[in-house]
Amino acid sequence: MAATPGQRAAAREQLYVPRMGTIVRTEDITAVDRLFGIELPGRRPLHHAPGQFVQLSIFGFGEAPISVCSPPSQTESFELCVRKVGSLTTALHALGEGDRVGIRGPFGNGFAIECMPKMDVLIVAGGIGLVPLRSLIKDIQDHREEHGRLIVLYGAKSPGEVLFARELARWGARRKNEVLVTVDEPADGWNGHVGVVTTLIPKVRIDPPNTVVVSLVGPPVMYKFVYMALMEIGVPDDQMFFSLERRMKCGLGKCGHCQIDGRCVCTDGPVFSATELKTMHEGI
Amino acid sequence: MAETLVIDKTSLLSVLSAAAETPGLMAPTRRGRASFAFDRITDCRQVALEYVRTVLPPKNAFLPTREALLEFALEPEQQARAVIDSTPVVLFGVHPCDLSALEQLDWAFLDRHDISDPHYAARRRAVTIVGIDCMPDDYCFCTSVGTETMRGGADLFLTPLTEGYQVEVLTAKGRALLGEAPLRDATPEERAAGDAWRQAKADRITRRINTQADALPDILERRHDSPIWAETARRCYSCGTCTTVCPTCFCFDVDDAMEPSLSGGSRKRRWDSCQFLDFALVAGPHNFRGERPDRVRHRWFRKFAYLNREYGRPFCTGCGRCTQACTTDIDLTGVLNEVIAEDGREAP
Repeated sequence: MAATPGQRAAAREQLYVPRMGTIVRTEDITAVDRLFGIELPGRRPLHHAPGQFVQLSIFGFGEAPISVCSPPSQTESFELCVRKVGSLTTALHALGEGDRVGIRGPFGNGFAIECMPKMDVLIVAGGIGLVPLRSLIKDIQDHREEHGRLIVLYGAKSPGEVLFARELARWGARRKNEVLVTVDEPADGWNGHVGVVTTLIPKVRIDPPNTVVVSLVGPPVMYKFVYMALMEIGVPDDQMFFSLERRMKCGLGKCGHCQIDGRCVCTDGPVFSATELKTMHEGI
Repeated sequence: MAETLVIDKTSLLSVLSAAAETPGLMAPTRRGRASFAFDRITDCRQVALEYVRTVLPPKNAFLPTREALLEFALEPEQQARAVIDSTPVVLFGVHPCDLSALEQLDWAFLDRHDISDPHYAARRRAVTIVGIDCMPDDYCFCTSVGTETMRGGADLFLTPLTEGYQVEVLTAKGRALLGEAPLRDATPEERAAGDAWRQAKADRITRRINTQADALPDILERRHDSPIWAETARRCYSCGTCTTVCPTCFCFDVDDAMEPSLSGGSRKRRWDSCQFLDFALVAGPHNFRGERPDRVRHRWFRKFAYLNREYGRPFCTGCGRCTQACTTDIDLTGVLNEVIAEDGREAP
């Protein structure tokens, strides 16, 4: 049924007003990262695409952009994986099942790799950069026949900071998938790879003209190393996508905080191709 | 072509007096010896009919320095509702440069990215705007950015004559504001006097940007790594005065304020500045404009490159406020002209 002018006007007034979501489950992922399953009123789907984010708010503490880490196929609730770092995220970690949080969005452009069907997908993730990429990895599993090989290269600071370890192992065990994990600082009992995430690139077979790269790493300077390593083996710039992080206050392209040169990360990004990034001074 | 009429000063003041009663009047008024501010007026004798510029632009009629976007309650259950202020007001005495700025803020808040900000939109719709022409001082450079005859957004526009004012009726809302005020058609002499005013205004302006506005994005891109940014930054305190007084700056921050009872509160928007150290700070912590030259350069790029390209005109109206207000005399056009001159010397 079409909305009446009154309903449309009311909807416009709600631009900054969050919908109240309910936390329906939590799961500790590491000592500081926790997964929150959130249900919108009426179990309505979020209708997000992998790579998009929501503005999560707790009244009294404020609002912050948080990437969605569940796939679009999961519709009754969606998941956010949040590290306890500031006042808002600390307040979130104090909440549990049945508590309510504000949700605006989804915002942003997402990874949009469906425009490159049948290609191999190379995911390069660092630290909590894996969080939004988990949405993409799961989406690829949901539409496995539409993509070529899936290669996930993931670097964490230490074994204790590896996110979604069981899921990584499960993804790696599937046909047409390859998952490698490395840590910067090994601990006792770690017998995997050691070094930054770019050291994994020579360890996998990459078919550059047939590969689309999606990367989210940190600190920001790591993007340059990822780009250089993949550019050297011949992955074209327009097949490399980087998701960038900026502080945002509105998600609507108004507040100015997330500007990179003349672009707004919230509306023009957060995902930019290497072709686009090369024209931007403040990108990475 | 707008209807051009003439109103005498007494009748104009009667119109303002009526507006001050209903719906309310905001107009420039004198503060101290030589400063002016847009403020609520109850007595129309307080209205400054002649002034060069107000310290702050009239943008806080639409984008208050601090405003509630929503109110929230925590008990009995969490809920929030939008706070939309659509109280009508007459905004009187807006100069052409500031009318241009309102047109630009309209684009930023109502059109850009196809998203219309409901809080700005409601205030904007509720305001009746009366523009008035002005005589510039040494800080003005409206002729370099093409704003000296702007009428954008105004419902009425006045040009001072020896006796009374030429009135351009631009909208039905403007016509309604005039009510029963005695008006007559402008004589050919009065029309000529209006033209003469505009010519005298343009002639009086000495400050210039030494190139065409549409050439600036490319010039600035070529001078991205110019030493001029660091030299300018050596004198800058990052105090944010320039962005605060700017009629087209619209960046904002949002934070929550609790009621003392802790039973609820409001989410508030307030003016922010790209010149502040933490403006581009992200987790890590990493700061994308952590060095002052980066922030200084961003201001000129935002005004004359990025938004100039996106909007089609510089996001600067030539009002001269930032240069006049700068505590260390950083000169907006001076820096821009240095960059233009450097580009002329060094460009291939």
